[in-house]
Amino acid sequence: MRQRHREHVLEFLRTIQKPDRPLETVAETDSLVESGLIDSLALLEIVTFLEEHYRIDFAGIGLEPEQLTSVSGILDLIARESR
Amino acid sequence: MKRHVLLTVGPLTEPLTGRHWDAPAVTREVAARAARYRRRGLRPGDRVLVHFGNRLEFFAELLAVWRAGAVAVPVDGTLTRVELERLVETVAPRFSVVDDAGGGAIARALPPGPTVVDATEPHAPADVHALLPEDVARPEGDALVLFTSGSSGVPKGVVHTHASLAARWSALRRELGLAAYARALCLLPTHFGHGLICNSLFPWLAGQALFITPPFRPDLLLRLGAIVDEHRITFLSSVPAMWRLALRVARPPRGGTLRRVHCGSAPLPATLWESVRGWAGTPEVFNTYGLTETGSWVAGTSAGPFTPADGLIGPPWGAILHVRRADASPCAAGEVGEVWVESPALMRGYLGQDELTRRAIQNGRFATGDLGLLDERGWLHLRGRERDEINKGGLKISPAEVDAAAEGCRRVTDVCAFAVDDPLYGQNVGLAVTLTERDDAAVREVHGWIRERLAEGKLPARWWVVDAIPRSERGKVSREAVREACAGRPPLDLTRILQGR
Repeated sequence: MRQRHREHVLEFLRTIQKPDRPLETVAETDSLVESGLIDSLALLEIVTFLEEHYRIDFAGIGLEPEQLTSVSGILDLIARESR
Repeated sequence: MKRHVLLTVGPLTEPLTGRHWDAPAVTREVAARAARYRRRGLRPGDRVLVHFGNRLEFFAELLAVWRAGAVAVPVDGTLTRVELERLVETVAPRFSVVDDAGGGAIARALPPGPTVVDATEPHAPADVHALLPEDVARPEGDALVLFTSGSSGVPKGVVHTHASLAARWSALRRELGLAAYARALCLLPTHFGHGLICNSLFPWLAGQALFITPPFRPDLLLRLGAIVDEHRITFLSSVPAMWRLALRVARPPRGGTLRRVHCGSAPLPATLWESVRGWAGTPEVFNTYGLTETGSWVAGTSAGPFTPADGLIGPPWGAILHVRRADASPCAAGEVGEVWVESPALMRGYLGQDELTRRAIQNGRFATGDLGLLDERGWLHLRGRERDEINKGGLKISPAEVDAAAEGCRRVTDVCAFAVDDPLYGQNVGLAVTLTERDDAAVREVHGWIRERLAEGKLPARWWVVDAIPRSERGKVSREAVREACAGRPPLDLTRILQGR
């Protein structure tokens, strides 16, 4: 299941990443913003993606920054919060 | 010499690192840095580039430069080598101040000329007492140069004097009071007029506490409600793009300390405005209006109860607002025209660009390039823009600057940058280009060329390769016509092209 979610998340990140930064060079635990893959406000698009596809209720959970800033953090969040 | 306003520093805190300087510590830091500048020969009127911001040392360097009667020029720390060369040519700085974050790269990229100073290196304490800018600088002397996006790739430096800055702060104290600004949080870049002059220096140089963070850090926005509570923040300012993210991911503050929020630099839709009010737990969410040239905030929704509405700004703050027709006659109440600002807080002019200054300031009034109306109460309502700049989440980008960056590339035969709608930023940069060869290799070369010449925030987000850029008989390009021509076609898949897939 996690592998399927991983492919789905990576496929989505390719649609919002900066065009000249290969996604493959970013490790799963790297910060997506600090690695230069996306800019900080693009986190809004990740939030929208997770709300729409995994029905995560961001208003109802206590969100820690690390949960959204790396691929592994996003996958952990999906595993814990998706409905 | 008549003083416009009493200036006194407050304490400084970095919420993310926990670093804190109380007012006496600020005094010591400024004194030591001022002594360092004196030893190194900084003279009144010299200019000092400051390549970093949003940390304690930035504010100490700023006041130390002022203490020497010199001029501070805070700039974006991510400028490219080409932009830095142009900037140094325009500013002719005596010193370039860097920090321990990006300083090495900047020092290597800088052309010969300025002496590089590391603001984070240890320095000897100095026995110097007063630090107020007014104590050492002439009110009519230049204090600050802030760069906005200039046309044709020429940097446009907005010059403020100590007197114009003091006039802005004095007007804000009179119109807004200080009580709500007792503990002010700045999330905006300190090389922007909005972030520096108003969000930071207005409260901090009135002795209030300033909490300074790196700009637009995602981990910061996710924790925004918690930061407000932990530091008992009473005030923060921001731009609409920041709120679009914060409202989704940050829990509201629970402590009830937040008394006032300002939002500016880009249009604030009424629905977003109401949502910010709900999040902040206060009706005092003011939509502010101002440009770097006016010392930032020059009007806002401060007077009594109001209902958020698209385009609503409010009464002027220390300025006279004029709305004029094309023939320069004044508009009637409710009639849309160009907004002009008359204020002692206007810039002295654009650095080294007298003709541009003469066009911008006529009879003591500044032409904003914005369209709006004044209602029967004298409240300002904005209705659009006459100038063709792109407003990317508050960052103003001149399309002519983007054109100029692309034009020198051997693969480019014609180019036109324009604003495209963006759900996140409000607007972003679109680029239509004609090429010598219409293939992926040419696109990669043009992208690499532009990337070396424009800071990352200004890079075009969506590209179209076209057969021709439509022009009028006089050769003038209509950016709106190009935008409409591209709107019906999908942009290039830049990710695929740049990664050679």
